[in-house]
Amino acid sequence: MDFDWIRIPYALLTLFIVFNYGLLLNALIAKIAARVGRRHGIPIWQNYIDLIKNYGLRSSITHGAMYYLGPVFRLSGGVGLLLFVPTIHGSLMFANLSFAGDLILALYFVFFGTLGMALGAGESGHPHAAIGISRGLSQVTAAELPFALAVFSVALQYQTLSVSEIVAAQQGGMLNWTLFTNPFAVAAAMLSFLGSMMRPPFDVVIAPQEIPIGPPTEYHSSYLALMQTNRAIFPIAKVVVYMNLFFGGATSWPLFCVKVFLIYMVSVLVGVVFPRFRVEQSVRWFLVWALPLGVVAILLV
Amino acid sequence: MVDAILLIAIPLGTAFLLGLLPGHWRGAAYALTLAALAVGSAISAAWLLEFAAGADPREIHTAGAPPPFAIALRIALAESAGLLLVSLSALFAALYLRDTLLKQGRRAMAVLLIFAMALSGLILTRDLFNLFVFLELTVIATGGLVLLSSDPRALGAGFKYLIAAQLISILLLTGLIFIYHAGATLNIDELAAISLERLPGGTLAFFLVFIAVVAELKLFPANGWALDIYESAHPAFSALVSAAAGTAALFALDKLLAGGTAWLPVATAIGCVSFIGANLFALAQDNDRRLLGYSSVAQLGLLVVVVGQRDLLGEAYLFVAGGILLAHALAKAGLFWLSGLIEGRDLTAWAALRRRPLLLFAFASFIALLIGLPPFPGFYAKWELAHRLAAGGHIALLALILFGALLEAGYLLRWFGHAVKGTPPEQGPARAPQKMVAVHAALAGGWAAGYLWGELSGLGNLLHALPLLFALAFLPLDWLPARVKNSLAIAGMLGWFLHAYPGYDPLQLIFAAVILPGGALILLASYQNGGRRIGFYPSAMLMFAGLIMLIEANDSFGFFAAWESLTIGSYFLILRGRRSQAHALSYIVFSLGGAFLILAGFTLAAQGQTQLPLSALGDAPTALAPWVFLLLAVGFMTKTAAIGLHIWLPGAHAEAETDVSPMVSGILLKAGLYGLFVLLTQMGSQQLHGIDLTHAMLWIGALSALLGNLMAIFQEDAKRLLAYSSIGQMGYALFGLALMNHLGWLMALMFVINHFIYKSMLFLSVGGIAKRTGTRDMYRMGGLITLMPLSFIAVLIGIIAISGVPPLSGFGGRWIFYNAIMEGPHRLPLVILFLAGPIAFLYLFRLIHTIFLGQLKDEHRRVREAPFWIILPQMIQVALLLGFALVPGLALRHVDAYIGGLVPGGGLDWEGLTITSAFGYWSPVTIMLIVGVIFASLFAWLLLVNRRAQRVGQFNIVFAAERPYRPETTHFAWNFFAPYRKALGFFTQPLATRFWAALTDLLHAGAGLLRRHYSGDGQTYVIHLLAFVVGVYLLRMGL
Repeated sequence: MDFDWIRIPYALLTLFIVFNYGLLLNALIAKIAARVGRRHGIPIWQNYIDLIKNYGLRSSITHGAMYYLGPVFRLSGGVGLLLFVPTIHGSLMFANLSFAGDLILALYFVFFGTLGMALGAGESGHPHAAIGISRGLSQVTAAELPFALAVFSVALQYQTLSVSEIVAAQQGGMLNWTLFTNPFAVAAAMLSFLGSMMRPPFDVVIAPQEIPIGPPTEYHSSYLALMQTNRAIFPIAKVVVYMNLFFGGATSWPLFCVKVFLIYMVSVLVGVVFPRFRVEQSVRWFLVWALPLGVVAILLV
Repeated sequence: MVDAILLIAIPLGTAFLLGLLPGHWRGAAYALTLAALAVGSAISAAWLLEFAAGADPREIHTAGAPPPFAIALRIALAESAGLLLVSLSALFAALYLRDTLLKQGRRAMAVLLIFAMALSGLILTRDLFNLFVFLELTVIATGGLVLLSSDPRALGAGFKYLIAAQLISILLLTGLIFIYHAGATLNIDELAAISLERLPGGTLAFFLVFIAVVAELKLFPANGWALDIYESAHPAFSALVSAAAGTAALFALDKLLAGGTAWLPVATAIGCVSFIGANLFALAQDNDRRLLGYSSVAQLGLLVVVVGQRDLLGEAYLFVAGGILLAHALAKAGLFWLSGLIEGRDLTAWAALRRRPLLLFAFASFIALLIGLPPFPGFYAKWELAHRLAAGGHIALLALILFGALLEAGYLLRWFGHAVKGTPPEQGPARAPQKMVAVHAALAGGWAAGYLWGELSGLGNLLHALPLLFALAFLPLDWLPARVKNSLAIAGMLGWFLHAYPGYDPLQLIFAAVILPGGALILLASYQNGGRRIGFYPSAMLMFAGLIMLIEANDSFGFFAAWESLTIGSYFLILRGRRSQAHALSYIVFSLGGAFLILAGFTLAAQGQTQLPLSALGDAPTALAPWVFLLLAVGFMTKTAAIGLHIWLPGAHAEAETDVSPMVSGILLKAGLYGLFVLLTQMGSQQLHGIDLTHAMLWIGALSALLGNLMAIFQEDAKRLLAYSSIGQMGYALFGLALMNHLGWLMALMFVINHFIYKSMLFLSVGGIAKRTGTRDMYRMGGLITLMPLSFIAVLIGIIAISGVPPLSGFGGRWIFYNAIMEGPHRLPLVILFLAGPIAFLYLFRLIHTIFLGQLKDEHRRVREAPFWIILPQMIQVALLLGFALVPGLALRHVDAYIGGLVPGGGLDWEGLTITSAFGYWSPVTIMLIVGVIFASLFAWLLLVNRRAQRVGQFNIVFAAERPYRPETTHFAWNFFAPYRKALGFFTQPLATRFWAALTDLLHAGAGLLRRHYSGDGQTYVIHLLAFVVGVYLLRMGL
């Protein structure tokens, strides 16, 4: 795949669409969650207001270089992840910058933002931030495992590590989706998905009642705005990976919006029903319930 | 030529002459004694030269009549060497004993002369009755010489010895009578010709003589009286008993067995029991001279095994027996003589040697001589012995000997550890010139013998190997300032690399680049150390010499010699750490255990061929090939610290000095990987009882990765954390190799390069920080980022590279890994490896967070950046990592092509900027650019909107509406992953540690319990002796 300068504006267009969609989707989901709790919820444009307010705040402090760079790492991670994976199947325009690397790049690039953010939060010197990171890293080791196995199973199934080729192989009807051709892998991956979305029962990382929001405790104003921007982009980028690997990808933006919403809703549905796990509980939960599915997936493929 | 009978006549005559001298002419008597012994030595030396030049054996008949009318003596090559050993031992003993002899007067001197004469007679005689006479003379002289000691226990020991000796004499004399009755001759050669066994009563007659000579060798377990002598006699006399009397008795046994080949297996069995038993008992010993006694018993046991295997050894018999005997005699004499310079009798008292580097070097040489390390004669001899045993199918015997040798190495090196690491007393060893002369003579003799055996071996003299000579050259240069030596070392290493690299294939080149320029890079950090740093450079250069000889080796001998050299060098190096005594011991015991497995593997594969080309490993007989593979693989995996064999690593790597840790971790571990590379390329996959051994290695690799990583996250000590991380990293590399496909091997090579760079960099950073903060406990640090920014950058880059996050080079390793496993048939071990991956994040984050981030402690507010020389190599490594991340193809594409020659298919396509495999693609430069642009744009945006940010301290934080108390209490660092311990902590139960601890405890406790049978009671010892005689007889007859 060759590089062409036109890919850059196209990629920025993807970024723009996803950013706006993400802001609206987050608000919608917050609203849905509020309704489950018999509350009214926020207006749909609330995230725009928050973002503009935070970017506009003039008083701000810094605890040092890594602290300053933390949110930059975080958002670079989100943007990079989005751009390294093709968004719309069959569209050269929205294939983004996926010529730089394959699925493995996307998988490992997830950690770029996580690591940078953890470093930034660490330099804030706040014990709650450190506790949150300790919890988050602990949980992610177990939560990522079923996903890694599922990805490996899918790569073995299609004999490729290229995301585009995996999506292409699922075209031609719903029954060609990995969901139906490799259900164990998808089941394992979706359980893993729950663990990566920062929602109950796996939200001990930010646990608002114990360690007020954990890692970002000390972040405010434009730092926080950068992270809010990431919160609009990163979950969608992650869902795009899931959509491409397991649910046939998307051939158009409307289909994209619907699939992303539905996949996202899985974690919301679980989240509004279950209470929070402690870290060791969630580690064991992933190893006991999700891991065997992943093992079956790589053995059966 | 001078008549050899003078060797008996001169000391005897001189002894009589001394009796005629006036009692107060002590000086003259002493001079006469020395002269007699010197003349004896000169005569022996002249004969030795004569026979070495190819002269025929000489028969000497007293009174000019043939046997049986006269006493027959014979001198040949072996006899002349033995005689030289005896006369020189006696000469140096006389020198050493000067004060004592002058005090005791001419009678003591006469007894010493008689002793030397009797031993010479034992070696020369061809007549059994004459043998008996010389043995009696030895006994009488021993009884007298024991009393030279100032130790009051010597009297009792001498008495017990006399009782035992009487019993032995009775056995011998009775045997002689029976033999004469059965065979009508006592001439050894005639007896050999008539095969005594077939005559009525001949077997019993032979047995009695045989067992008497064996008992005279003081073999385990019927030797309590002998141990008491070793312990309580004057060290000069103990040296004489061990070196000279042992030699003479061995000659006697050898002659005797010429007529009793049916008894060779019995000799082997007795020798083997003695070798293992005495070495086992020595484990629990803390008195130096008694320990040397045990060691003497063990060595003589090994020599009896060699005598027992005479037929198998064939023409190599003299080479093997001579090598081991010489090493034993020189080392034992040297050690006993050294013990006379040491005040206390406890092993820890040998720390006094630290005040005299030359004596410490002598001590190290003697220990190496005894263990049989290169370049000493025992090394060549054991190599030959092992090959003959394996070729002859005596595998069990080989295993037992190697086990005994490992026990021996264990207690000897523990002793050495006490000497190097103990607290030296105020007073160094006594300064007595004549004693020093003796010690130094043994030292020179040891090295000369090493050279000689190297020449005789026909395998290539290790003392001609340039890298080894370069390392040894640092011994005489040790007086130079450390910085000068450092420059010399760096120049030598780079020079050798420039000289040799055109001859390397790509695989060798990668390893050589890590070893030589890589080693030189780490040595930059050594400029930090001022002073002279005695002992550092010889050890370090020995390790590097071994490493580079390993890479360059073409045959099994060169490979093994290099392996032993690098092991010893690194042991000395690790031992230098302040608290590393126990860890260095554990390292060397595991390493030697691994080395012995490698030796066994080579001997099995070679089938007698002592210099097996490595390329012929694959030609091993089909039935043996899996065993060869197993032995070699386990041996190499000991070095890479695969799980189960890993317990030596954390302590050894963590407790080593600041610049040593990166060497032993970043470079030394690669020796094991290189060995595995050679093994797998030559032997491929092997099946043992239906189990695919490379499949087993996959599991071991995966478990090492998981458990290494898991244990790393619970460490509070930064260097220990890095050490455990190495176990995990080596697990990955092992896994890659065991995949047995193209990309798996490429991944392993990528690990070789990456692990070298980032692990040595991290060890240097952490070492520099520990130097400044005075602690290695991470929770005692915190917030150092602003004070040590360069160290922070090194650690940051290092952890990004290890974790595999793009865009640094670790990602390349991960990408190749995924492509490699796509082809692999085995999927289950992958589950473990997948779990291990993210766990690395845990310890890496902990490393950087608890040291650099969080709260700065009050006591560290004035800490400065790490010293320049420690930072410099780190910054170069940062540049290397970035460079390797951008253009991995520079190093890897040639290797890829080379592996393509070994494992065709499945390679990578390196066209343009993108690297493509059969499954995916990856473009390092593009990724770096994209990530860079995104990052820079967002950073610029943040700078724009946040330009007025105010810098505040770490302690200025929002804390639930309260002020935190102090930075020390606010830094969240200790037991950082507590919840993880609750969830998966059970995985880190130290099962392997407990297993090995239980095993060593069992050995020690067993030794402690069993050695109680040495009650110190003379009557008990006689019963032992009788029981031994009866036991051997029954076993022999029952066979």
